[in-house]
Amino acid sequence: MLSFIARRFAVAIPTILILIVVSFVLMFAAPGGPFNAERPLPPQVLANIEAKYGLDQPYWKQIFDYVWNVVVHFDFGPSFKYKDRSVNDIIAQGFPVTLTYGFWSFVVAVIVGVTLGVVAAIRHNTWLDYLAVGISIGAQSLPNFVMAPMLVIVFTLWLGWLPGGGWNGGQLQYLVLPVIALSTSYMASIARITRSSMLEVLNSGFIRTARAKGLSDGRIILRHALKPAMLPVLSYLGPAFVLMVTGSVIVDSYFSTGGIGVYFVNAAFNRDYSVMMGITILMGALTILFNLIVDLLYAWIDPKIRY
Amino acid sequence: MSLLQIKDLRVEFQTGDGAVNAVNGVSFNVEKGETLAIVGESGSGKSQTAFAAMGLLARNGKAIGQALYEGKDLLTMSRKELNRIRSNEVAMIFQDPMTSLNPYMRISDQMAEVLQLHKGMSKKDAVNEAAKMLDAVRIPDAKARITMYPHEFSGGMRQRIMIAMALLCQPKLLIADEPTTALDVTVQAQIMELFGDIRKEFGTAVILITHDLGVVAGFCDRTLVLYGGQVMEEAETEALFARPSHPYTRGLLRAVPRFDRKDEALLAIAGEPPDMSRLPEGCPFAPRCAEVRDICQTAKPVIAGEAHRRACHVPTEELSHV
Repeated sequence: MLSFIARRFAVAIPTILILIVVSFVLMFAAPGGPFNAERPLPPQVLANIEAKYGLDQPYWKQIFDYVWNVVVHFDFGPSFKYKDRSVNDIIAQGFPVTLTYGFWSFVVAVIVGVTLGVVAAIRHNTWLDYLAVGISIGAQSLPNFVMAPMLVIVFTLWLGWLPGGGWNGGQLQYLVLPVIALSTSYMASIARITRSSMLEVLNSGFIRTARAKGLSDGRIILRHALKPAMLPVLSYLGPAFVLMVTGSVIVDSYFSTGGIGVYFVNAAFNRDYSVMMGITILMGALTILFNLIVDLLYAWIDPKIRY
Repeated sequence: MSLLQIKDLRVEFQTGDGAVNAVNGVSFNVEKGETLAIVGESGSGKSQTAFAAMGLLARNGKAIGQALYEGKDLLTMSRKELNRIRSNEVAMIFQDPMTSLNPYMRISDQMAEVLQLHKGMSKKDAVNEAAKMLDAVRIPDAKARITMYPHEFSGGMRQRIMIAMALLCQPKLLIADEPTTALDVTVQAQIMELFGDIRKEFGTAVILITHDLGVVAGFCDRTLVLYGGQVMEEAETEALFARPSHPYTRGLLRAVPRFDRKDEALLAIAGEPPDMSRLPEGCPFAPRCAEVRDICQTAKPVIAGEAHRRACHVPTEELSHV
């Protein structure tokens, strides 16, 4: 087990290096740069600025210097667009925000999604099943850029219950709408996966054995069916968790939460190379970490898997 | 009172292609301590009869009729009452030991929960008791191996575990649904020997569902032959083998390979088992029967007789001898 974890971390290092190189190549391949404006800068000014950020160096040196700074100094460099802020600052400020509403979205999506899926499977082909399937199809078909303004219209403008935006240190009333907007479609996917895998498990021989033992339905679900039914859900949850905690541009822009989701997209528009790279590496590292956690959870659930 | 009385049991499945009648009016009794064999081809309704009695039919299945266990109808009692009988008084073993045990739980947990539920034992006592039972079904080193998972055992060992689990509460009736079909021949013999010992040791009544007539001959007091979801013939096993009086039973017995008659090819019963969603109007066996008469096409034969029951329009004396 420990050697498995060690090996996975060893593989993670080249994976992140490849991620950095590919992202760099894609950035350079895109036309334009961070300092191409509507009104061109005088060539001498442009050259000075590029020299300041190291953009006059050959590509291989830029990549090498970048990796060196990240690995040795844990420094993702200055932002190209926000003159007085470094990428570290932006992540330090924005990531706790997305982590907070992303985490709660994850919790809500898992609890509601799994419950909905299990209920639908237990009451297969009854009105409860149809209702649960209907909710999840509806939730999945509703894009969050439609969902977010609808939530604001209903809960802020009509009912006046909740603030329509802002963060305010992540107080509960500021959290509710972002969490609903972000979790809905994930919740729907989790419900669908749970339902179909639970249906399969409930038809298996060992569930028939459990019924023949005289166990109640509740015990059969909790003790015998839930764990195996969660296996397919688990492989979805790893990447989903990363996507949720790294935020969503829709949520960040509609609710002005100040998370990194909106920085990431703006960085792409602005060619803010260092911010793009920083957030990309953050997402990559989190993805690797959570895939590892999912693999470990698999081994915990399924005794046939041993590392 | 018989231990188990099945009265005019019918099992119907609603499928996309309409209703399938898997069991069509089956009646039989099981006495205390007795061993009854239910034989028939695949699709004859033998397993579904047992599933119906235990309330284990698939979701789209419905059981009609009566299944009286000590006079109480298993089909109409509440789920709670049924759960008190399941495994505690009537236990069941299934065909495929590879899928019948929960692959995600330790054997100790799977066995202990039966005793915790029905006997109110503590976890620790229940595990100890379960280990003793594994020992009784001759699992070597049971105390140590009880904490293992199902995939760490061979198929034969898993079936032993299933048997041990079924016997934990010392049930009065054990229903074994093709317990040896999925196993090697050598393992089959060991498992049947184990069943013999169990019967002697615990006095448990056994319903053995099988298509293997060789297993039946050496083991069961009485034999019930099913075809198309109906009882064709029922008698004491010796009488049934010595004087089969139904054309289907005769066909089945003829189809058993015999090594003392080397000159013959394997004999099969001509034709196919019936389509259970479109059963013939008359006797279900009529399309394949060599002795068929006109009446067999139009009227269902009624089962008659006392010790030796048969459902055939043609009197035994008129059947051609083989």
